[in-house]
Amino acid sequence: MKTETFRYDNRIVRAFAIATMVWGIVGMSAGLLAAVQLFWPEANLSLQFVTFGRLRPLHTNAVIFAFVGNGMFMGVYYSLQRLCKARMFSDALSWINFWGWNAIIVAAALTLPLGFTTSKEYAELEWPIDLAITLIWVAFAVNLFGTIAKRREKHLYVAIWFYIATAVTVAVLHIVNSLEVPAGAFKSYSIYAGVQDALVQWWYGHNAVAFFLTTPFLGLMYYFLPKAANRPVFSYRLSIIHFWALIFLYIWAGPHHLLYTALPDWAQSLGMVFSVMLVAPSWGGMLNGLLTLRGAWDKVRQDPVLKFMVVAVTAYGMATLEGPMLSIKSVNSLSHYTDWTIAHVHTGALGWNGFIIFSMLYWLVPRLWRTPLYSLKLANWHFWLGLLGIMFYAIPMYWAGVTQGLMWKQFTPDGFLQYPNFLETVMQIVPMYRLRAIGGTLFLVGTIVGVYNLVRTMRSGVFEPDTEAQAVVQAEASGAAEHGHRWIESKPALFTLLATVAILIGGAVEIIPMFLIRSNVPTISSVKPYTPLEVLGRDLYIREGCVGCHSQMIRPFRSETERYGEYSKSGEYVFDHPFLWGSKRTGPDLQREGGRYPDAWHYNHMEDPRSVSPGSIMPPYPWLYTQTLDTNALPARIAALRKVGVPYPPGFENGEAQKQLAAQAAKIVVNLRVGSITNAAPNAEIIGLIAYLQRLGTDIKSAPAAADAGDGSVPVAALNPNPVR
Amino acid sequence: MIKNVLSDIGGVGLYGVISVCLFFIVFSGALIWTLLQRRTLMNEMGGLPLNDGETPKFNEGESRHE
Ligand code: HEC
Repeated sequence: MKTETFRYDNRIVRAFAIATMVWGIVGMSAGLLAAVQLFWPEANLSLQFVTFGRLRPLHTNAVIFAFVGNGMFMGVYYSLQRLCKARMFSDALSWINFWGWNAIIVAAALTLPLGFTTSKEYAELEWPIDLAITLIWVAFAVNLFGTIAKRREKHLYVAIWFYIATAVTVAVLHIVNSLEVPAGAFKSYSIYAGVQDALVQWWYGHNAVAFFLTTPFLGLMYYFLPKAANRPVFSYRLSIIHFWALIFLYIWAGPHHLLYTALPDWAQSLGMVFSVMLVAPSWGGMLNGLLTLRGAWDKVRQDPVLKFMVVAVTAYGMATLEGPMLSIKSVNSLSHYTDWTIAHVHTGALGWNGFIIFSMLYWLVPRLWRTPLYSLKLANWHFWLGLLGIMFYAIPMYWAGVTQGLMWKQFTPDGFLQYPNFLETVMQIVPMYRLRAIGGTLFLVGTIVGVYNLVRTMRSGVFEPDTEAQAVVQAEASGAAEHGHRWIESKPALFTLLATVAILIGGAVEIIPMFLIRSNVPTISSVKPYTPLEVLGRDLYIREGCVGCHSQMIRPFRSETERYGEYSKSGEYVFDHPFLWGSKRTGPDLQREGGRYPDAWHYNHMEDPRSVSPGSIMPPYPWLYTQTLDTNALPARIAALRKVGVPYPPGFENGEAQKQLAAQAAKIVVNLRVGSITNAAPNAEIIGLIAYLQRLGTDIKSAPAAADAGDGSVPVAALNPNPVR
Repeated sequence: MIKNVLSDIGGVGLYGVISVCLFFIVFSGALIWTLLQRRTLMNEMGGLPLNDGETPKFNEGESRHE
């Protein structure tokens, strides 16, 4: 047997470590600013760029892809090399991965505040950036598989399985969900419409949580937890079962984001059943992690690495118990659209992802810089501030979510809504929003303390750019001795194939029927494409991120039909590229907004919501009154919409569209004059937005034929004509 | 209503059945396969993170705080 000496690349790990620390602070600060705006709207400084609707995607992207993404790469690049006993396949690819990924994040930080967004959650970035993500992800995958191919360790440790599943699945998810037709440099329309778009989006959204925020970090847990505890994982067998059960269940669970919506029932039930089953492998994994520490709890009390890790794994267990619970339809009917969801995701984001990244940092930095941690005391401060931060974040949000959910559903003994005014239910929970901001502040301060501690540690040590290592070169021919799992596990190509098949089957069975079977979306003959002015208005709704606070999906409960009007039908969304159902109701649902108020009401409300709704926390939109509608973009947008399937007549965009637009705008200006608004400019952006708001949900009201829409809907005449709000 | 959307899709209940069966097959497969593995091999596999081949450093003891 021959021994080989080689070097692990630590520079790339250092780069990702620094990036995750920097972006962590940026992303959390953005979140804190957004949180403050929810009780103090002026905190947007009247800047359109950081108003809530644009800031929220900036926060989620910065935290998920910048903070957690760089943290993931940091851990993967460190552990993969050591588990493979090989340097990364290509240093060049490593650096392309690093600089490319971080350039994408900078691009996101520039474009999202400017309002360039697809509006699809966690996939907001516009098409040029989507392309870049694909390329960089491929670079990462090639580097990953290349390293696995040239490894000196015959066996593939379970962590690497998780990495492989991540690389493959994220690629599939990203590509399928980002299929869009460009309508300009930073504008595109999803090729899917309405229900289909929603299903694809939440298949993506859910699995982004699964395969970006969970599987890679489970791999990292299976590496760093044994490392830090200096003992092997409790049960290696359990880790294998954990892996297979997890990836195969996760992929089906997406529809649990769409319970009680216009999504077909079978897809909803599928999502619910698989989500509930998910609790088993998740808890298997958590217990496997915690039991690894049996007999080492004295260490946990002292070592910040283990402390953070234990909380992370516990938070994983809590979030994965809560998730399946929230997927049960009856629980979901209360929790959906409320802050309960926000509490749930932050248990995961702050507790699981945040704490596991800190744990890795506290482990890596002293080792890479070959020096003890600067201050154990500061690390403890960080730990307690973080933990307290999570509590102060999650508990008020649970309170707010349950309170508001119950208020929405509360009827008086006479059968009227107890709280017909939506705003009343908002004002009730504003104190909780204040407490949540305190929680966020604590967590952020803890992070800053931690980063300070780590930077001081770096300063006091000497960075080791490469670590020397030795490994025995494996003799090639041992074929006969191989059997069973060794055979699979030592053949990454086969393994990858199996894992890919596993996730593709899940996605395919879920999604393909939606496309093949037309009757999944019954047509409603009175539903027509948006007018040119409404198209531009809808694009403004997308740009401003109104979907972050407003849903357009009325569920079939009496509490909702009383409040908002007729429940939503899948056929109403056939021209919605992208869908705008939303996932959070900080403001009321807008699906039936059209015709509810005169144009002048919207004009006044959008300029200063509190002038007409005292106490509202909706931000004012003064810039919509000074900026002019981008009518030059109209031809490209109509053409792109036609490409994705909206039946605008050929040549419509050459002249006719502009003519219709001008006519509709002029009519709105006349309406505004009736409401004694005399200074409205017909080409101001607000005119387009009003046109869109007034169109919302009116199609099925306009046609008695809709009564026989084929989807068994209630005849329109039977609708509650004047639901209260 | 939502249920009515389905009524005209032939055999839609099958999708759920197919998916649960598939899961069951994969899960049982993984379970049996894992249980069949030799204990020594499992122990060896579990120990992989602890053996990364790094050349021991002279100042190991003093430069690490744990
Ligand atoms: C921070 C969350 C938030 C954002 C972002 C937001 N809204 Fe609102 N919106 C609210 C709240 C809360 C209310 C209820 C109080 C009120 O009437 O102002 C509301 C009410 C409304 C109403 C009146 C609904 C009714 O029937 O009474 C409309 C219309 C509306 N918003 C449109 C928009 C549009 C268009 C945008 C994007 C340009 C937007 N909102 C962005 C929170 C928000």
